Amino acid sequence: MRRLFSFAALAALLLLGGCKTDRSTVLKVYNWSDYIDESVIEEFENWYEEQTGEKVRVIYQTFDINETMLSKIERGHEDFDVVCPSDYIIERMLKNDLLLPLSRDFGETPNYIDDNLSPYIRAQFDKIDGGDKNANDYAVGYMWGTTGILYNAKYVTDEEASTWDVIRNTNLSGRIFIKDSPRDVYSQIILYLHQKDIEEGRVTMDELMNYTCEEDLAAVEAYMKQVKPLVAGWEADFGKDQMTQELGYVNLTWSGDAVWAIEEGKTVGVDLRYVCPKEGFTVWFDGWVIPKYAQNVKAANYWINFMSRPDIVIRNVDVTGYVSVSGSPEVMDAFINEDCEPVDVSYFFGPQATAVKLDPVLYPDKATIARSTMEHDWGEHTADLVAMWNGVKGNNMNITTVIILVVAAVVVLALIVSRMKKAKSRRSSRKYIGKNARKRR
Amino acid sequence: MKKFFARAFLALILLLLYAPLIFIAISSFTESRVLGNWTGFSTKLYGNLFSGSMQGAAGSLMTAVYNTLIIALIAALVATLLGTLAAIGIFYSRGRAKNAVMFLNNIPMVNPDVITGVSLFLLFVFLGITQGYVSVILAHITFCTPYVVLNVLPKLHQMNSNTYEAALDLGATPGQALRKVMIPQLLPGMLTGFILSFTMSLDDFAVTFFTRGTIGLETLSTYIYTDARKGGLTPELRPLMTIIFIVVFALLVIINIRQERAAKKKALIK
Amino acid sequence: MKISNIFSRRSSWSLPYVVFLLLFVALPLILIMVYAFFDEGGNFTLSNLTRFFGDSDALSTFAVSIEIAIENTAICLLLGYPVAWILANKRYNRSAVTIIIFILPMWINALMRTLATADLFNMLGIPLGKGTLLFGMVYDYLPFMIYPIYNVLRRMDPSYAEAAQDLGAKPSGVFLNVTLPLSLPGITSGIMMVFMPTVSTFAISEFLTNNKIKLFGTIIQENINSSMWNYGAALSFIMLIIIGISTLLGGSGEEDAQVQGGLI
Repeated sequence: MRRLFSFAALAALLLLGGCKTDRSTVLKVYNWSDYIDESVIEEFENWYEEQTGEKVRVIYQTFDINETMLSKIERGHEDFDVVCPSDYIIERMLKNDLLLPLSRDFGETPNYIDDNLSPYIRAQFDKIDGGDKNANDYAVGYMWGTTGILYNAKYVTDEEASTWDVIRNTNLSGRIFIKDSPRDVYSQIILYLHQKDIEEGRVTMDELMNYTCEEDLAAVEAYMKQVKPLVAGWEADFGKDQMTQELGYVNLTWSGDAVWAIEEGKTVGVDLRYVCPKEGFTVWFDGWVIPKYAQNVKAANYWINFMSRPDIVIRNVDVTGYVSVSGSPEVMDAFINEDCEPVDVSYFFGPQATAVKLDPVLYPDKATIARSTMEHDWGEHTADLVAMWNGVKGNNMNITTVIILVVAAVVVLALIVSRMKKAKSRRSSRKYIGKNARKRR
Repeated sequence: MKKFFARAFLALILLLLYAPLIFIAISSFTESRVLGNWTGFSTKLYGNLFSGSMQGAAGSLMTAVYNTLIIALIAALVATLLGTLAAIGIFYSRGRAKNAVMFLNNIPMVNPDVITGVSLFLLFVFLGITQGYVSVILAHITFCTPYVVLNVLPKLHQMNSNTYEAALDLGATPGQALRKVMIPQLLPGMLTGFILSFTMSLDDFAVTFFTRGTIGLETLSTYIYTDARKGGLTPELRPLMTIIFIVVFALLVIINIRQERAAKKKALIK
Repeated sequence: MKISNIFSRRSSWSLPYVVFLLLFVALPLILIMVYAFFDEGGNFTLSNLTRFFGDSDALSTFAVSIEIAIENTAICLLLGYPVAWILANKRYNRSAVTIIIFILPMWINALMRTLATADLFNMLGIPLGKGTLLFGMVYDYLPFMIYPIYNVLRRMDPSYAEAAQDLGAKPSGVFLNVTLPLSLPGITSGIMMVFMPTVSTFAISEFLTNNKIKLFGTIIQENINSSMWNYGAALSFIMLIIIGISTLLGGSGEEDAQVQGGLI
């Protein structure tokens, strides 16, 4: 018995022990999946101890949908110290007062953030509408990229892929993968649908990125419903794999996924290409922020600083295939590729960088960037967007469903009735059988 | 002729059931990153699995395997102890109390995993228990113990309860009587319960998914889930699954041969 | 000393487990109801439940889940019953170990099996969709149908069937009038073990259809995962009601077979 008690005591201790950990030695990072060179995490722990003399252990968690991350913080009050949301979520978090201002006070440690951040990214962050707050005080960019079309050149011509309408090409039925991201799909399709209006100056691309009107939502929904029968899948992250296996020929996706797929495609002999369609497209940014419920703000600030150090940037870019927000010449030099045509990246790396041999999938030319815009938070209209998407994606009900359900309901009702009848007759028969029946059991 | 059709039908169903498993086993002997491509025979994946030289994703695979085993072991052990004690108690209690416990005991078995997972998640949130190792183990004990109870109860029915009384009459303390007389007779049921619990804990995905919290705890199932959502599965999973398959196969064959032998013995005695 | 006195009564040895059950089985189920009937501010509300009936996404997912579960259960029954019957029939099979070969796959990680199935389809060039989902579901749940039916059939006293035969019944008549009714508890149990889990499946359906079809379990998971606990709990509560109804319909026969199910 004593043993049992000591076991119970041990269990109780375990339970209590689970409740409290010293949070100043723990840094909870919440990042997109596949979005870092994981060896960097351990290196940060060492670096942090070197710089501050304090020990820290990183708990690294990943998400693959912005909204999951946001609701964990907004509704679940989870104590992540540093997270990496996308532009429009940073906007929403700013508006909803969910972020702590960043500190640039690193003592002896160099400030890698401000030394390296590209002016282009800084300007884009200025455009984030955070009410009276400037996003640059609350967020530091991590990666950025474009949304576009990844396609298999064996089955799709460059000409076909240069418009968003390629996803409505019936010849590609069952070979089209669409990123399962309502906002990205809406933004591109609305640009496609309004291309005339944009050309003729009736509306600007930026205006279309906010909620405009019900008709626009309905138009995108109608368009996507035409696309739906052709779609092979709504992918969160697996589209790139489907493309390299030639299961998909067209993928509406992000440039980072495209880079990964193109590289992988080369090793297996699949010619994949990526294009930002002519009607215009969105540019996206993910940035590090410190949520309101963070418990280890100091380490979080150091983490953001560390993530901006050029050599760390280069390693993360190498592993993930995404493009860093870093405008440091060191980073630019690291990605110069002699096989590429020169591109004008002066908007990103500074005025002297007008002809650098960089991969245009990673760093689009200045002319391409001119066709781009940036997504915004829809505030209270976000629900309409989600409803539109569910209307497109969900609703697999058809007449068979209804027939089967009706038949099933009838059968269930019949069963209930027969059960009740049986129970009645059993009750009356029990009177006669009495105790004998029980004994036999 | 009839026999031929019966056999053919069984063979067809077996093919259906085993095709994906055989598919995994075969592709565990090639290095191709993508499941389904054959790039020549190789045992490199097995080598990677055992040399511990894996890096990055595959390295965290081994951590996940380690977590899975620890959780399964602790959960199965506690479930076996708790379940055996409970079975003895249930066996000796009567009437409403017995029915009530049996009713509660059946709930985790009838509930789908998602419901068990969600309900336990809400419990841990409600009690303010940080979710992680402890919550996952508690959750696993919850769905394992009923099976232990159900495996030990029949052994109690078979047991001659007089032997326990006799031991007490002959001066044994209750503890001694329990250890020397009762436990040996219950052992086969406990063992089956333990192995069942262990395999169920190994296999669980939904309950772990809801109760593991945000400290970054990964078991094999959640690892596969995260991995699969990204598209490519870590190739080392293929040899791992093949090995697990063989181990489970061996375990189940052992249990069943034991049971069949025991049944035959019983038949002989009769 | 006093406590050890209590424990010397053997009927009280189940006390720790009773406490455990109350804490980890009863309380969590009560919590589902509490969360389902309260809003985030802690006020009583029916809005979580009424929201479901106005949520076309959740409703259609629910309907599709029930449809797929019915289809899956029917296919499993049609394939599984003959297997169980052949295996339980002494003429075709004498060893009790053969059945293990049929239930073994259910001990292999379901996700892994599902992914392997999806990859097989990909390799064969079959597009992922409802057909592949049903195939994968049957593949995952067939053992759960075979085993309880097999158990009932095997324990069935053959003299009933022999008597019917002696009285001049045709083989088909024997099967329809004797064997089938007697195996009903096994069938009910099999249906219970296939139907409910299919409705509440998550992850598996997404992998087998490239996210084109999701089942009710996914909706619950999405809501819980996005910290919409109250709505998630309300959806779970709806599941619980269905479980309650089907348990009532299945009756006590299923309980009996479950005891056997544990004995693998």
